[in-house]
Amino acid sequence: MPEEPQLNERARTLTFGEYVVGVAANGRVFGVAFGDGTIRIIDSLTPDAEPVSTKAHNGAALCIAADIEAGAFLTGGDDGKLVHTSVLGETSVLAEHKHRWIEHVTSHAGSAFRVYAVGKDAIVLSKKAGGQTRTFSHKSSVAGLAINPKGRRLAVSHYDGVSLWWLASKDSKPTLLEWKGSHLQLAWSPDGMHIISAMQENALHGWRLSDAEHMRMSGYPAKIRALAFTRKGQFLATGGAESVVCWPFTGGGPMGKTPAQFGHSGGTPVTALAANPKLDIIAAGFENGAVVLGQPGEERTVTMVPGGTGPVTALCWNPEGEILLAGTETGEVHIADFRS
Amino acid sequence: MTSTTQTPQVPVTVLTGYLGAGKTTLLNRVLQENHGKKYAVIVNEFGEIGIDNDLVVGADEEIFEMNNGCICCTVRGDLIRIIGGLMKRSGQFDAILVETTGLADPAPVAQTFFTDEDVRRRTRLDGVIAVVDAKHIGQTLENESEAQNQIAFADVILLNKADLVDPEELDRIEGRIRTLNPFAKIHRTNRCGIELDKVLDRGAFDLERILGMDPDFLHTDEHDHDHGHHHHDPNPVHDSEIKSVSIGIDAPIDAAKFDSWIGDILMTQGQDILRTKGILNMAGEDKRFVFQGVHMMSEGAFTGPWPDNDARRSRLVFIGRHLDEAALKQGFEACAA
Repeated sequence: MPEEPQLNERARTLTFGEYVVGVAANGRVFGVAFGDGTIRIIDSLTPDAEPVSTKAHNGAALCIAADIEAGAFLTGGDDGKLVHTSVLGETSVLAEHKHRWIEHVTSHAGSAFRVYAVGKDAIVLSKKAGGQTRTFSHKSSVAGLAINPKGRRLAVSHYDGVSLWWLASKDSKPTLLEWKGSHLQLAWSPDGMHIISAMQENALHGWRLSDAEHMRMSGYPAKIRALAFTRKGQFLATGGAESVVCWPFTGGGPMGKTPAQFGHSGGTPVTALAANPKLDIIAAGFENGAVVLGQPGEERTVTMVPGGTGPVTALCWNPEGEILLAGTETGEVHIADFRS
Repeated sequence: MTSTTQTPQVPVTVLTGYLGAGKTTLLNRVLQENHGKKYAVIVNEFGEIGIDNDLVVGADEEIFEMNNGCICCTVRGDLIRIIGGLMKRSGQFDAILVETTGLADPAPVAQTFFTDEDVRRRTRLDGVIAVVDAKHIGQTLENESEAQNQIAFADVILLNKADLVDPEELDRIEGRIRTLNPFAKIHRTNRCGIELDKVLDRGAFDLERILGMDPDFLHTDEHDHDHGHHHHDPNPVHDSEIKSVSIGIDAPIDAAKFDSWIGDILMTQGQDILRTKGILNMAGEDKRFVFQGVHMMSEGAFTGPWPDNDARRSRLVFIGRHLDEAALKQGFEACAA
């Protein structure tokens, strides 16, 4: 009989009991957003200290991103508010849309853009407080936002394609990458050359931006709920199966190649992924609450969390790649610390 | 790996009906009355709801086509997003009510609950209610395909504003509704005055409960619901109207033959078939096989045993357009073991 997997000795579990909506890292702190509208800030240097906790939204928080300000976070909620939470847990409302939901938020520290979505609009906040905002409108609701690695272009997913906008340009016409169907989560390759969307169907669609060449990656048994490029962009790790499916992006891209896999779970789909920013390691979370570390094509994985809870909803590394946070639907937050 | 924790499924009720029929009255009752359950309500128009409740969510009806080989498969993209968001507030509500616009086709709403994995994991479609204005429905049914769709699709029909129509006329309207939909429960109401447990938590898509819901289902003679003269009328206008076809056979069914036949019917005619329900006596099985479909999507399972005193008669009801009753009957009969 194989030994029953245990919680890894480097990992600890905090139990909050509310749905973990998302996790983001900003410098040495992590921000965790919960389904009751609470934001908790966990200091990676003192993970044993009680997290700073603040009620940022009246209803549920729906999304979280690192802010452009050190140690701060942006969250959107079903109360229609975009909230800024400082490292000390002080909140301020940056925007409010009554009776609407803010389901997507992102930012880019280098270029200092904050972007959020409400309905069919992606709204770009200028760097200065109280400055002009710009609204990018689409024909259908925004289903995903992603700023390219250089911080200049915004990709917005929606029905029938992805719109690419120049964040600083006054030209209000997007480049439309069309493909029939509903496009959801987005990922830019680290070199900014490819944009990939996970679709409502069990497939990925991608474009090479140099020539708008299409890529279609299908054959998944389940909906693809997670996407992550490895740090140098050699692989795109994807959910949608009971193991992590990794498409090679070296040597002409993934078309016609067989994806590498790792972390076969034996019956539970991948729900969250995070690529380590310093090493070629990927953290994968599963529907049964398990979290493992692995590498494309390598059979050996390290179990961090054995599972037995609700699905893993969020995974995030700190910028040094030494600390991993995982959150679940049932309100567990796991912290794995790899510092020696 | 250890097993996944079971996620409880939140029941979802879909509310259809023309503008002015009384949907908002029913919504307000669900939100205000003390029925012991907390509802999250997805509305298409905020202004109509008089209550500022943070569990009332506005929806922009967004119909998405699925590239999944089902030619008629459309889903409501906005519902997938909203339900995903609501699930983050776990434990804050017991059930969901979805109001559709007056002219909406209920099929994309229902198909959303069969198609999207995340929605299916967290919720289950409980039933479709149609609120109709008794005074106007007679005329709208003759002219509007949307009204026919809503009636034909429903599990519960509230014949509302019944006090404005005399009883003979109500009987005539009910008879007309029955030709479109033989299995819905019809209630005559004024100002949607009805015990809420008669419209909510019906389990209309629950295979285990389909039998309990329709005690007459097994016993009705198929000809009762036949749409006599229209069926025999070669006029193509009439053929495009919705009707129901109910067929039954006494011989036990061969499961493989039935699978292949019904699969083919739904694949080729699924666009025209709104709903299918069946209770089947599979050869060599002691339990009843219950089958249901929405357009091309279908599911079936063995449920409880046949009652001792019941004839093991297999019965299948189709609601749709362009239904060729003779061909369906012949095909079903050919499934005999």
